[in-house]
Amino acid sequence: MTPDKRPWSERFRPKTMSEVVDNEAALRKLLAWVRSWGVGIPDRRSVILYGPPGTGKNSMVEAVANDLGFDLIEVNASDQRTASRIDEALGKNTVQTQTLFGKRRMILFDELEGISGQEDRGGVEAILRLIKETRNPIVMIATGSAESWEELLNPLIRVSELIEVRHAPMANVLQLLKRICDSLEIEAQEEALELVAERSNGDLRSAVNDLEAAARGKKTVSLDDVYWLGNRDRKNGLTEVLHKIFSAKSFREAREAQEASPVKYEELFEWVYENIPYFYEDSHDLSRAMEALARADMYKKRADDTQEYRLLKYFFDAMTAEVALARQKSKGTGLIDGIRKASNCIHLAPSSLFIQEEREGIIVKPTKYLGNDWQPLNNVMRELGGRWQRERSLWIIPYFRPPGRISHLAGSWWSRRRNKDLQEKVAKRCHISKRSALIEVIPYIKAIFRENPRRAMAIGHSLDLEEDTIKWLKEK
Amino acid sequence: MNVEVWTEKYRSRSLEDVVDHKEIVSRLKSFVKEKNVPHLLFVGPAGVGKTTTILAFARDMFGPDYTNSVLELNASDERGINTVREKVKVFARTAPIQSDVSFKILVMDEADSLTQAAQHALRRTMERYTKTCRFCLIGNYSENIIEPIQSRCSLFRFSHLSQKDVRDRIKYIADLENVKLQEPGLDGLIEASEGDLRKAINILQTAAASRGGLVDEATVFDVLGRVSPKEVKEILLLSLKGDFLQAREALRKLLLEEGLAGQDILRQMYSEVLRLQLSDDSKAKLLEMIGEVDYRLTQGANPEIQLGALVAKLVLAGKEMR
Repeated sequence: MTPDKRPWSERFRPKTMSEVVDNEAALRKLLAWVRSWGVGIPDRRSVILYGPPGTGKNSMVEAVANDLGFDLIEVNASDQRTASRIDEALGKNTVQTQTLFGKRRMILFDELEGISGQEDRGGVEAILRLIKETRNPIVMIATGSAESWEELLNPLIRVSELIEVRHAPMANVLQLLKRICDSLEIEAQEEALELVAERSNGDLRSAVNDLEAAARGKKTVSLDDVYWLGNRDRKNGLTEVLHKIFSAKSFREAREAQEASPVKYEELFEWVYENIPYFYEDSHDLSRAMEALARADMYKKRADDTQEYRLLKYFFDAMTAEVALARQKSKGTGLIDGIRKASNCIHLAPSSLFIQEEREGIIVKPTKYLGNDWQPLNNVMRELGGRWQRERSLWIIPYFRPPGRISHLAGSWWSRRRNKDLQEKVAKRCHISKRSALIEVIPYIKAIFRENPRRAMAIGHSLDLEEDTIKWLKEK
Repeated sequence: MNVEVWTEKYRSRSLEDVVDHKEIVSRLKSFVKEKNVPHLLFVGPAGVGKTTTILAFARDMFGPDYTNSVLELNASDERGINTVREKVKVFARTAPIQSDVSFKILVMDEADSLTQAAQHALRRTMERYTKTCRFCLIGNYSENIIEPIQSRCSLFRFSHLSQKDVRDRIKYIADLENVKLQEPGLDGLIEASEGDLRKAINILQTAAASRGGLVDEATVFDVLGRVSPKEVKEILLLSLKGDFLQAREALRKLLLEEGLAGQDILRQMYSEVLRLQLSDDSKAKLLEMIGEVDYRLTQGANPEIQLGALVAKLVLAGKEMR
């Protein structure tokens, strides 16, 4: 018998409905809809199956098609989905007829969220046309949260039945892992499988992949075997795109990184902006990269203002390729060096830390009991953007820092509210704009608060400031 | 004692008390007598009494309850011309309380900051409600007001207040507030205020609060030092030192927390850069960038990104300086 070389996630995916364990409600809904094609053409000729990655959307469709005897025709992300290509691949003929052998067809559009308004011009319209003409069920799959694609896909959403697929509960993930171990006659520690299941966050595919990485070719799996597996970032490949942009050597390389990624471009922009200073220590490089980003900002504004979304390509170019090409002398983050230097600073022997690069960051694990050194080291790690993972007893320092603008907004909520109150009241009382209030009057009020709090408080009351604002000014 | 902001406490209540601007005041008084007024356009520098004058006029025209007949809008605070139109519509719909005046007054401050398109829209709104609502537009420069609006308004140009007028007013307030204002202090104050009475009064009030009511030259300078914004300079110094991250953090604080407008930061940067010890060449480069960023901000670009790029340029200039 030749050994089965397929990846486990392939090998152990459900082939029939009886093997689909999760999302029973979604399965029932899909099944009822497909069955309704047996007695004519239903009101809604298409469904959109949506939910997080690795929850078995494809498998569900395949299992249903398989069990009900449909011939599944897939159009996925690797195909360009311009209007003409869709028409070419699936003409009227395909959607309106059966196969030569009288088998009915089911059309599957995968990775629907990857249709971009840019490259797949008219793609949504072409699919819409097919839906109007079809005599065969059309199933579409969209991955990720609805807000990331609902605007783009709105025309399709309006005519389709929507079916939500959810994360698998931890227990089901665990059950699947156990089943796989059983069938491969692998002896697995319960805690090891639990850790894998927990880290998967309900993504069955990643759980199976992790198990395979730790256990392939082995007969036992212990906690130590799975310990080093990275926490998957749930940011739909954000880390990968950023890696590519910050290490690309050519225009194309950087540009393609973005094209191939489903990351929302506004989000990507924020991450690139946040991380530029960490990767561009040379000031020429830094200045060029920031300039490229500032231009990207302008290009995006122009595209938005004119509604000419083809202009977005200049935004993408500047944000990815031009940022990448700005790096000429910079070496990169130097995170590992930084960690070593920092631990030297607190007089820690190099041997007391285990440092290793992982997929989403650098892990730092104490090799012995640190005692009093733990706290200063923890401070250093935090400064480097790291977080302590208790269950693995190590710090993980992500390569990329999350956008600080957002956390700043969250952290400064209180002072922003106080500032707002102050600005509004002063503007009203002094018959000026809020902007002028901020520049022309508020500095004086603040100065009086420092010099003569009692009088300042009276002024504050006469301005009708909120008590909290007065307190805030007094304490500042 | 009723403690409040002195600029408001001593704002002239009636046209009788308005400082200076004799001709303007006498024209406005005749409007009060006739119980009628055309659309008005007030232009002139900051702090010379444009808003005071129109409010005093409104009080003389409508009596103590004038606030019911006056709507004050500030163009820089309104979100687009559509909300302005909505507000005017609601305001102009009801008749004024006083039966002897058949209109209300809408005061639009900083009208010269409106875009051309918004001004054209405003013009149409003015036409539509002329019967029930008179407009008083206020701005610094008449050039920034479109011709069609200028031609529909009586234009009143407010000149700088004379030093003597500012001095007299400040002394008057100081007397009433029992401030021991010394002559050198007054000189310093007048010089710093550059003819802006609001600024002069604010300095006086802040100085009076600090040292038991004694205001001499030192107190005035002390106040000026305290109120002059240090944050922008701080950003500049951090950048020149090469600390982009810290500079960015400070920039974030100003924009997000304090709510400062990007263009106000930029204006301060401009004057700070002029004062820097840099080669003329790098100064010119920086100013070029500032000009570009300023334009982009008018186009609605993201202030943090744009100013961030400027900060990166400053980092570079700082490196070349060393």
